[in-house]
Amino acid sequence: MTALDHLLLFSAATVLLALLVGQRPYGGWLSTVFYAGQFALLMQLAGVGYSGGIIVSSFSLTVLDHTMSWRFDALSWFFAVITIGAALLASWYSAGAWGKKFRADGGNIGLLHLALALNVFSMLLLLASGDFLSLFVGWELVSWASFLLMVMAGGAASRAALKYVTYAMAGAMAIFAGMALAYHYAGSLQYLDFVSVLPLLSASQGWMLVALFGCGFAVKMGLLPFHLWQAAAYAETPGPGAAFLGAISSRMGLYAIIVVLFQLIGLIPIEALKISFTFLDGQSLLGWVAAFSIIFPTFTALRQNDARMLLAWHGIGQGGYMLLGLAAGDALGSAGGLMHVFNHATYQAALFFSVFAVVHQTGTSDLNKLGGLITRMPISFLVMLVGIIGLAGMPPMNGFVSKWMVYRSLMLEGMPLLFVASVIGTLGTILSVYKLIHNMFLGQLRLEHQNVREVPWSMVAPMVILAAIVLITGMMPGLVLEPIASVQAALGLPVVNYTLGGVDMASGALDMIWVCGILFGGFAIGAILFYSGGRTQHIHQLDNYAGGHFLTADTRYQYSDNFYAGLMRVIGPMYRYSFQWLENSIHSVTGLLGSGMKSWYRNAQPSFYLLATAVLAMAWVVVL
Amino acid sequence: MSVIEILIEAMLMPLVAFVVGLFMVLMMRKIGARIQRRVGPPLLQPLYDIIKLYSKHTQTSHGWMHDIGIVMAVGGYVAAEAMLPVPGMNGIAEKGGLIVLTYMIMIPSLGLALGVGQCANPNGSIGIARALTAMLAYDVPFVIVVFGVAWHFGSTNLVEIIAAQQATGPAGWGITEMPLLAFAGLFALQGMLGKQPFEIYVAPHEIATGPMVEMSGKHLGGLFVMQCFQLYTAAVLYVTLFLGGGENWLTFLAKSFAVVAIPMSIAFVFPRYKTDDLVRLLWKWPVMAGLLGLAFVMN
Repeated sequence: MTALDHLLLFSAATVLLALLVGQRPYGGWLSTVFYAGQFALLMQLAGVGYSGGIIVSSFSLTVLDHTMSWRFDALSWFFAVITIGAALLASWYSAGAWGKKFRADGGNIGLLHLALALNVFSMLLLLASGDFLSLFVGWELVSWASFLLMVMAGGAASRAALKYVTYAMAGAMAIFAGMALAYHYAGSLQYLDFVSVLPLLSASQGWMLVALFGCGFAVKMGLLPFHLWQAAAYAETPGPGAAFLGAISSRMGLYAIIVVLFQLIGLIPIEALKISFTFLDGQSLLGWVAAFSIIFPTFTALRQNDARMLLAWHGIGQGGYMLLGLAAGDALGSAGGLMHVFNHATYQAALFFSVFAVVHQTGTSDLNKLGGLITRMPISFLVMLVGIIGLAGMPPMNGFVSKWMVYRSLMLEGMPLLFVASVIGTLGTILSVYKLIHNMFLGQLRLEHQNVREVPWSMVAPMVILAAIVLITGMMPGLVLEPIASVQAALGLPVVNYTLGGVDMASGALDMIWVCGILFGGFAIGAILFYSGGRTQHIHQLDNYAGGHFLTADTRYQYSDNFYAGLMRVIGPMYRYSFQWLENSIHSVTGLLGSGMKSWYRNAQPSFYLLATAVLAMAWVVVL
Repeated sequence: MSVIEILIEAMLMPLVAFVVGLFMVLMMRKIGARIQRRVGPPLLQPLYDIIKLYSKHTQTSHGWMHDIGIVMAVGGYVAAEAMLPVPGMNGIAEKGGLIVLTYMIMIPSLGLALGVGQCANPNGSIGIARALTAMLAYDVPFVIVVFGVAWHFGSTNLVEIIAAQQATGPAGWGITEMPLLAFAGLFALQGMLGKQPFEIYVAPHEIATGPMVEMSGKHLGGLFVMQCFQLYTAAVLYVTLFLGGGENWLTFLAKSFAVVAIPMSIAFVFPRYKTDDLVRLLWKWPVMAGLLGLAFVMN
């Protein structure tokens, strides 16, 4: 038994525990303890994560002469830390008051715990996969486990989940076809055989493999044009589930892309794949797919009026930065892309927690029906503030550091248009997150929310922990860059020259310890200046006026709907919903074909078929 | 350089920025007065204004975020000044660089936006929505400029960018090497300072000065200080990127005041564009000039 066996078995035990006692009031706490156990076991493997190497599971399976094996390397460890960490905090969040209310509202809390535990177990299996077959098995398990989590709320959630599973099946078919092709070329499903046969393949064979695997994995990642399922599926999932899915689930697609496209095939052969009649090659195609995956979903998020949907759309957009950094291919870009996986998980989970805390207390996440909650729920507000600064990628939060690395790498590699595209994505994010925090926490407090209270500590604690991680890893990014450097070494990428405060390089380094120190020093000076001024007189939140009139609290004057009206007059007509249109047309073509087939085999016109068959039979007799 | 020296510089640089910024505000008012055939305020008027605002008897606060927003607005600029090299002092310019500075100067805007948000005045919120839209508009040409300059000098380190320009003299300045980018940068500067014709987010006659609508006393005083820093930062950044930085304090100040006089002179003879026209304008001419300039720089 190796340490990896312990981890996987303990994760399976968590599934069993959730199945047995998930319904009980203490089930949530017990699962949380078990996730903490998984985390501790994962830390036993920290050697793999920090100094490289591979740890192999002693368990293997042979199916039809194909050996399936499982192992952990630095990349698996890095993703596993995020997975188990997200599950631990999500489970904690759901264990106390949230779970009680969920149960009281008729939700099946046991199923939620079970689905979460299954997700973690299947993700660990996927991360540990050591060959194409175990990768595919893990992939399918992850797909179905996340389907279970998405579908459990019923109603709109099950519609979104069904859409997801349709996409996931299509993606899995593409991956399966890619595997079949790889098997055809290599004669085995082992990675090593595949790598050894790669140099012998022609360009069209290479394209075929890259396209099949790339498209298949891109579905889960939510890259354009396969992104339409994701926002609704994540947003409709119950609170902690949504936070978990938003934090890590779609990154499994990125993991598989890294393993197959970057580790096995490698960027240099992909760069050698030229697209005829254009200046593009495989690498720049990846870069542009990433850039469009940043811009379109971000500006779709800007138009959302539901806080959960807004965050879920940003989750798709932020995935683009990860791929963009990796596609840039140098030490800085790939480190930035990988670091963004961690950073995104932390602030996205914090943001979802904060939004669901508001939903927990007010019952709505409609951005036009909230406002002014800052005085009622100050901790949730602060967590959201930290989260949005991270999501928008501004100092001093961790999202800035990873984005800085991506920008800097695009500068060094001389990719101006991708750089501008990625900054436009960031600016769109700033607009969108301000709308989020303004419409929920700032502005006018609604009368019906006057007695809202802060959520209890069982929900506050995970939020605050995440916010602290966002801030601390923003000030000391070296903490995250250390395992990333060993991931880069494991992947055969150039290794980033990191320090505790950031990145050390000629012509423009980054030292976040100094930057943040000076920033907080600046805030201190600002505070001294401010608080040494005259004594302030605090006005009650509901004491307001506009246009020279006093406003009573029952007059609604919150500026929330169509928040960026001026901007929308310019870019509004650019929203063509082309992808939605494409999806709908595929949907109706499939429906048409389906009903045609159905009327065929269901014999809607039996007399006609009988006549046709008789005529054919007679013709056959006569002709012969 | 030792930590103590850096810390002393980081304290001195914002102080210099504040004093220079006060004179820039004075210059702005003087230019406005002369264009309108008035005399204009006396030398120390900006300072008197700040003292007056901070010591007002009635100080109205709408809550703690309203206060902290102002602290962030001033503090963010105090920190940003430590990243902008001036003659003889580099502060922490080598720890951050151009991209960090670009994002650092968004922190004051964020602080202001949060502070205004808590005031719960729809005029304020509309003003912020417009200001953020304007930011989306002017930052597109601005980041094109940032990329072009960083590519040309092969560095995002402002100290190296200045040194490279000073080694060659005016022939190697950004403005002579990259005139199209310098033009785009000037356009972005006008938007960044929020001066007419890009002043829709203040629009006193329409939304009652927008973000400033609920600000009085030391809150408004904080915004006054922020304006000093804002003028200084924009001017010095432009001088650093395109005019070779400052060889000494004399040329440094001369260049900075000259740069900031341009948007001020334009401001007082223009009405304001509405938001959608502002976005269209900034996404058209400066972006086209910037991309063309980028093509020349990168060929």
